[in-house]
Amino acid sequence: MVQQFTVIMCPLGIAIAMFLRPPQTLLDGPAEDMSARLLRWAAGLLSPQRGEWGQAMLGEHAHIDGRIRRLRFTLDCVIAALLLPPWGRRAAAGVWAMVAVAVGSVALYASVAIRYGLGVGDWVAAAILVVLLAGYLIAASALLRRPGVAIPGLLGGLFIALTWLAFYGFTFYGVIGTIPTMWEKLAMRIAVPLVVGAAGTLWGRDAVVGRRVARLAAISAGLGLYLYGMLAVAVLGAGGPPEGTGLTVGFIVSDRLGNGLVDLLLTTLVTATVGWAGAAAAARLRHGSPAPAQPGPFIPAATPDTRQEA
Amino acid sequence: MQRNRPPSAQTISVLRALAADPAHWRYGYDLATEVHLKSGSLYPILVRLADRGLLETSWEPGVGSRPPRHMYRLTSAGREFVAALGAARAGRTVTHPRSRWIQA
Repeated sequence: MVQQFTVIMCPLGIAIAMFLRPPQTLLDGPAEDMSARLLRWAAGLLSPQRGEWGQAMLGEHAHIDGRIRRLRFTLDCVIAALLLPPWGRRAAAGVWAMVAVAVGSVALYASVAIRYGLGVGDWVAAAILVVLLAGYLIAASALLRRPGVAIPGLLGGLFIALTWLAFYGFTFYGVIGTIPTMWEKLAMRIAVPLVVGAAGTLWGRDAVVGRRVARLAAISAGLGLYLYGMLAVAVLGAGGPPEGTGLTVGFIVSDRLGNGLVDLLLTTLVTATVGWAGAAAAARLRHGSPAPAQPGPFIPAATPDTRQEA
Repeated sequence: MQRNRPPSAQTISVLRALAADPAHWRYGYDLATEVHLKSGSLYPILVRLADRGLLETSWEPGVGSRPPRHMYRLTSAGREFVAALGAARAGRTVTHPRSRWIQA
């Protein structure tokens, strides 16, 4: 029931967040189109030392005629912003660690699918898994580039993952067979992400940093828990609880792989949303109502606004 | 620690485009169009060239509602590098471009 409740609350939370955003970010008018906003976001991913280059991309974008040309220019610049070094050691280490976890998870999935001779449906799920993981890695890469997010975000993810595993008793059997009680679910899905989001805000002394920390923590925890779940399936196969179901080995393994994929999606989404709410609530309690954002003048040589939303 | 790699073919094409009229300031989008590079490839190249002191940058003031525009041209070191590049290509290598690239 808690899971269904939180899944329903996610779109509602996102809708409320969109509604509560400062009106300037939604109603910029014709002066800044979608590609300009996307490019501004990408420029914010650059390290402070590269701030001038982000402004250069924005300045060039404004002089390009044609919506398609501007959009193409923007998409190329987004790729450049995501790949342009230097990332900083912490961010680079975080990204590579997540890439390793994602690749390891896919490799485990594939090895299990081959070992148990699973069908087409499981390979379609594998393709979905690859797309999902690629999206998570891009999102994590963007978040890790933001100032003050890498360490608290990764620590928060570790805290969430360890808390979940503690409920499972740190065993493969626990991951496969434990059905948490209502209170345990409330703690895992609501309390822990709320604490991480609030801690992110307090750590960064800023609600924006807190929300980024909450999202990075959700992604890193989701990836870690998924890898642990895949290890459990690889080790146990169709073994472990529940015993004596009468189902075939292939069916049980396929079911476990599918559950893992759904958990990866839902756990990350729910954790990120609840953590986001915790970060926002902590900021509200700390500072009261947030002041509306004021549009500032364009200053080319200055460091780009690194407080933009990821 | 900065890694010293030989320039890529794309980097060389950007350098040559800039060297065609070294005193003239160039815009990023025009450069990308001329050398048939995507902006995602061009800007990292420009960043690396500027980091190595082969490229200087300047801002053209914005006009009306349009923001300032970044402009680029070769430094004297950049011109020397391109000259050495041409010399090496012609088989008259005095200083190999790679060593110039590493020195820059």
